[in-house]
Amino acid sequence: MQKPPQPQSFFTGPVVAASLSLLLAFLTLLITHHISRLSPGLDKLIHSYGYWIPGSTGKGPDGSIGSYSGKETLAITVWLGSWLIFHVLWRKQELSLQIWTRIFIISLVAITLGFFHPLSDPIVLFIAGFFGLP
Amino acid sequence: MSAGEYIHDPFSKMVIRSQIGIALVLLLMLPAANFFYPTNYNLKAGIHGVTAILAIILGTYLTHRAIPLIKGVQVKLESLRRWLLVATVLNLAGAISGNWIYMRYRGQDGPRDWILAHVPGFHNVLMEFKEFVSLFPFPLMLSATAMLYFYGLPVQHRRDITRFVGITILVSWSFLMLGFVVGLILAKLRFV
Repeated sequence: MQKPPQPQSFFTGPVVAASLSLLLAFLTLLITHHISRLSPGLDKLIHSYGYWIPGSTGKGPDGSIGSYSGKETLAITVWLGSWLIFHVLWRKQELSLQIWTRIFIISLVAITLGFFHPLSDPIVLFIAGFFGLP
Repeated sequence: MSAGEYIHDPFSKMVIRSQIGIALVLLLMLPAANFFYPTNYNLKAGIHGVTAILAIILGTYLTHRAIPLIKGVQVKLESLRRWLLVATVLNLAGAISGNWIYMRYRGQDGPRDWILAHVPGFHNVLMEFKEFVSLFPFPLMLSATAMLYFYGLPVQHRRDITRFVGITILVSWSFLMLGFVVGLILAKLRFV
């Protein structure tokens, strides 16, 4: 005999996992971008992670995407890696989406402003100076 | 006759559909013209422009589908998630083609060199901002799509989850618009 359909139970953990991993990926883009601007050596280091992407190196009129490729590679790695880990950890967790929505939006706005150089450069230089970076 | 029914009469439907059709064709002409520009990079520029504007059109349509989702109204989730999947693919295509045309942007005597020599702020502030926020819509759309497929259609009854998916769609659209407008400004300033 067939069972009547049961009301399914959902956990919100996977939603938080998917969106938190996005924030971490965007943050990775932000951090690697600012690091790459500090010195040619650091730019080369970030760039080296992206050598696998076609068009990541090269000069001339056709150009290349340069260290942008490394920033993208690191961001994709952090995104998919952290998504997988958080998903496995929280797939049976019930987390408040009301609170998470606020944290998510505020963090996203903050990260976005971090890409606006007139605003972020003084902060980046202050932090870099603190660590004795050029 | 209630105001709610009026919009569904056949004449209004025809007018709205014609308007959408005309707008779609005309808007597509804007980037499709890139294919015929006198430059070695017209193919790259055309593909990026067409995918970007298609992503904008579908993304804008999806914001209208997202609002009932945020309000907790019953929606056709099956069709919504299929459209979201298409939007995800379009945004990925926009990002990949963006990488492709970005190579020429940075190339010798390319737009970057010209802009830095004439109006450096457009590169140092606008482009440095655009190249990153333009990467946001694809993963945001993918995450919204993944949620609807992961939970399946019964998620309709979990208003907090559908609300978050709706918000993700709106957020994705915001970044899409930001990237699109800045991209247009830069392409107008100095074409590849």
